[in-house]
Amino acid sequence: MTAPPTSEVEAPDRAQGKVRFRSEQRRNLTGWVFLLPAAILICLMNFYPMVQALIMSLKTGRGTRFRWADPLWENYTRLFDDDIFRTTLFNTFFYLIVQVPIMLGLALLLATLLNNPNLRFRGLWRTMIFLPCAVSLVSYSLVFRTMFATDGLVNDTLIGLHLSNAPIDWLGNTWTARIVIVLGLLWRWTGYNMVFFLAGLQNIESSTLEAARVDGANAWRTFWHVTVPQLKPMILLCAIMSTNGTLQLFDESWNLTQGGPANSTMTMSHYLYQLSFNRNPNFGYASALSYAILIMVAVLAFIQLKVGDKRD
Amino acid sequence: MFELNRRHLLAGALSAAAVTMVGCSGSDGDSEGPKAGDKVPTSGELSVWCWDPAFNVYAMKEAAKIYQKTSPEVKVDVKETPWDDIQTKVTTLAQSKKGDQLPDILLVQNNAFQKNVINYPELFADLSDSGVAFDEFGESVVGYSKIDGKNYGVPFDNGTAINALRTDLLEKVGLKVSDFTDITWDDYLTMGKDVKAKTGKPLLSAQSGQSDMLMMMLQSAGASLFGDDEKANIANNETLKVVMKYYGELMKSGVLVELNSWDQYIGSFVNSNVAGTINGVWILGSVQTAKDQAGKWEITNVPKLVGVDGATNYTANGGSSWAVSAKGDTALAADLLKKTFAGSTELYDTILPKSGALANWSPAGKSEVYKKPQPFFNNQPIYSKVVEFAGKVPSNKTGAYYYEARDAVAAAMVKVLKGTKIDEALAEAQKNVEFAMK
Amino acid sequence: MTRTRLRKIPSYLFLAIASLVSVFPLFFMVVSATNTSQEVLNSKLWPGGHLVENYRHLVQAQDLWAALWHSAANAVGTTLLSLLVCSIAGYGFEVYHSRGKDWLMGLILLAMMIPFAATMIPLFRMFAELDMINSMMAVILPAVATPFLIMLFRQSARSFPHEIIEAARIDGLSELRIFFTMFIPTMRATYAAAAVITFMAAWNNFLWPKVILVNNDYQTIPMLISNLTAGYVTDYGMLMLAVLIASLPTMVLFLLLQRAFTEGITGAVK
Repeated sequence: MTAPPTSEVEAPDRAQGKVRFRSEQRRNLTGWVFLLPAAILICLMNFYPMVQALIMSLKTGRGTRFRWADPLWENYTRLFDDDIFRTTLFNTFFYLIVQVPIMLGLALLLATLLNNPNLRFRGLWRTMIFLPCAVSLVSYSLVFRTMFATDGLVNDTLIGLHLSNAPIDWLGNTWTARIVIVLGLLWRWTGYNMVFFLAGLQNIESSTLEAARVDGANAWRTFWHVTVPQLKPMILLCAIMSTNGTLQLFDESWNLTQGGPANSTMTMSHYLYQLSFNRNPNFGYASALSYAILIMVAVLAFIQLKVGDKRD
Repeated sequence: MFELNRRHLLAGALSAAAVTMVGCSGSDGDSEGPKAGDKVPTSGELSVWCWDPAFNVYAMKEAAKIYQKTSPEVKVDVKETPWDDIQTKVTTLAQSKKGDQLPDILLVQNNAFQKNVINYPELFADLSDSGVAFDEFGESVVGYSKIDGKNYGVPFDNGTAINALRTDLLEKVGLKVSDFTDITWDDYLTMGKDVKAKTGKPLLSAQSGQSDMLMMMLQSAGASLFGDDEKANIANNETLKVVMKYYGELMKSGVLVELNSWDQYIGSFVNSNVAGTINGVWILGSVQTAKDQAGKWEITNVPKLVGVDGATNYTANGGSSWAVSAKGDTALAADLLKKTFAGSTELYDTILPKSGALANWSPAGKSEVYKKPQPFFNNQPIYSKVVEFAGKVPSNKTGAYYYEARDAVAAAMVKVLKGTKIDEALAEAQKNVEFAMK
Repeated sequence: MTRTRLRKIPSYLFLAIASLVSVFPLFFMVVSATNTSQEVLNSKLWPGGHLVENYRHLVQAQDLWAALWHSAANAVGTTLLSLLVCSIAGYGFEVYHSRGKDWLMGLILLAMMIPFAATMIPLFRMFAELDMINSMMAVILPAVATPFLIMLFRQSARSFPHEIIEAARIDGLSELRIFFTMFIPTMRATYAAAAVITFMAAWNNFLWPKVILVNNDYQTIPMLISNLTAGYVTDYGMLMLAVLIASLPTMVLFLLLQRAFTEGITGAVK
């Protein structure tokens, strides 16, 4: 509202503006206070060690005897000559590109199905599909390795259904082992992401869905034009988190395949852990590798935020 | 705005950083190891890290009891800690210059011993002059914890390799365990094919992608992945090529079956899917979990390579040694090890029947307890047999990059099994190890 | 009526398959906990009679109840602190939205993008200087403020109707009270999801506790399980019982918080 510039109304309006400005300012300040505990903790627990790791990535040396690398970025250029790093980079991106879209799609589908109030046994389905991520890694890897063994359940089923003539050495071949890792990831994390989508769906006004139905939109159109746009903040969050989680993937590579056969399923984080604790420790190089991961996640997250975080 | 924010945020962190830096600059004083003449305190508390309650933890607790007979004022606190965790803790404490948080005594895998001492010499006490009679241990086991002529470890857990076989399955083919004694891998292959043809079972199983079997075969001929100059010796290692050739033949003939995980490897003999196994003697603990197979197992020595200088029927896999922290009560810790693990037949006589923990310390092997026939193993006196094997195991060089080299060779073997030429695969392994050592 | 029923069959079929696949390893875990080591390695798929024996062996070998207690203290402490700190921050980011806060959010997101193995040693050094090694607080603190949870609450707050806040302000409620009495009850589903995953992450956290608890004084469940697999002989029946016990609390928590997922925002507030 624009007030006419007359001397009579000018004074109170300005005063009112001042009040509004002050309360805006105060609220902004309140906002900062709300952030403070988290910000302090993240500075101490995350940023300080990150700065230390950055310094370490510019150093070289064995054991605890470090000196500045010459040139300073030596550890970073070393990454380009490292065959094992290149393999792990490829593997990790393969998991990212194949697994994350399938997983988020499935999770979204399941969440939408389970959000239907007319569905029977909702609680039961929801619990069963969530359970995998609560199951201990030890039993999960034991079961997966047994199922995908040459004489395991999967081969028995495939042969029984005449989908395959001879047993497949799932974990012994490069591409089948990578597929097992992707299946493992899907199994463990789809229900996890579904929970966030469910939480997001709870926040959608059911009246908007009702309106769409009244307008005669079919289920698919309602889902695509009403549900998905409102769920966008949550989809974005899950996409960023899954990207981050996949680029830092460790558990599956470590437990299911031990990185094998011949490093062909090893992830970057697995290699990082090996460099730090299993092999002759090389912390300068390991830190450089971790910053390489950071940069890759940051770039991908930035792109996702740019695409998905527009405020309408 | 971005910069400003970050600076603000960092302000808090920097004050913490200032505190921390103090800790980093302090240099560690020279740590002299305990000397034979050092005065040993008569009281104190020793902390110990080791894993496996049925084995190492138990052995250390028994050792403490024996030591307390002469030094009742000494307490020993054993904390069960798996090897992976010990390695992570040692690394973290060393990098944080907090070596004083280490326990007085810790158990270290033989394969990782040199790596840890070479990287963190300030953490480990030199035991050369501690009075422990290192010549009473086999040369190859002492070698794992010997760096630059100094002894840093008291060998404990025995890794001597055995060839364990199912007598009932061999019988079906008309073979006896004695037919497998002092043989070559050629003989093993011939008999293995026979066993496979008549019983349908492989003689041997191994975990795929792992180097254990390859390393055992290599060490049996006294060969290593590193030369005397500490440089990687992989691409032109003729013994290694022979080893890989045999491994390939074992796989191709079906005499050896590879499994994808440790649990499946254990399952292969526990569930009677293979007719035998070759590994460190410690594998017998798992063999004995199959109660239905009691009396059906016997052991013998391992096959030897053909056409290789220095080939023997003896080798080892794994094992571990006690290390003493240079930051703790070193004199007392060394004294405990000297009087128990390197000086008490009573200790070994106690722990052998209950845990199967075999001595590396040769005086213990002469005890009557070792000669007792073992019902599970068809009344063979397996322990005195293993002690006999142990004395004949050739030495193996480990060094700081042993794990890199083992991983590279394991990866090369996987490629060879898929059709790559041995020379080509080994050249790549050599390149990767040299890169890691750069 | 019958048409809609028929149309639902694919949905049920899909859910049934997804559930079966999801539950199978869990089923194996439960069954294996009642079998002997040899039977587990033989992939026996029906229950046996060794549950009691496995339990006896487990409590003989390990201090199970102490480990459960330490894990519970860690997980409950972390979850409560984390939900409070992160939800108030997420709310702050969204409701008092400003460019500066957007920048800070971006910066905070960076904090989760680095693998923990790389920052663990400096973090350890910091706690060592503060003389906090071997303390439960040192286990909990690094897990309290997580970029993920902050972002989760920020994204959720985006769908929180601002009219509610405006109305409350006109009623004279303070900003903090609006958060506690309006936001928290409305966002039950988000809090439930956040509680489950924070609890689970803290409960299963392994690398950091095993490093910072140098003396193993407060051994947690994952540390206990790693003990079980570290020996020469692994008793798989006992191991499966231990991992079953380790998995139960997260499952129970999820079941308890189920209801939060069934009432939408419309039911809760209006």
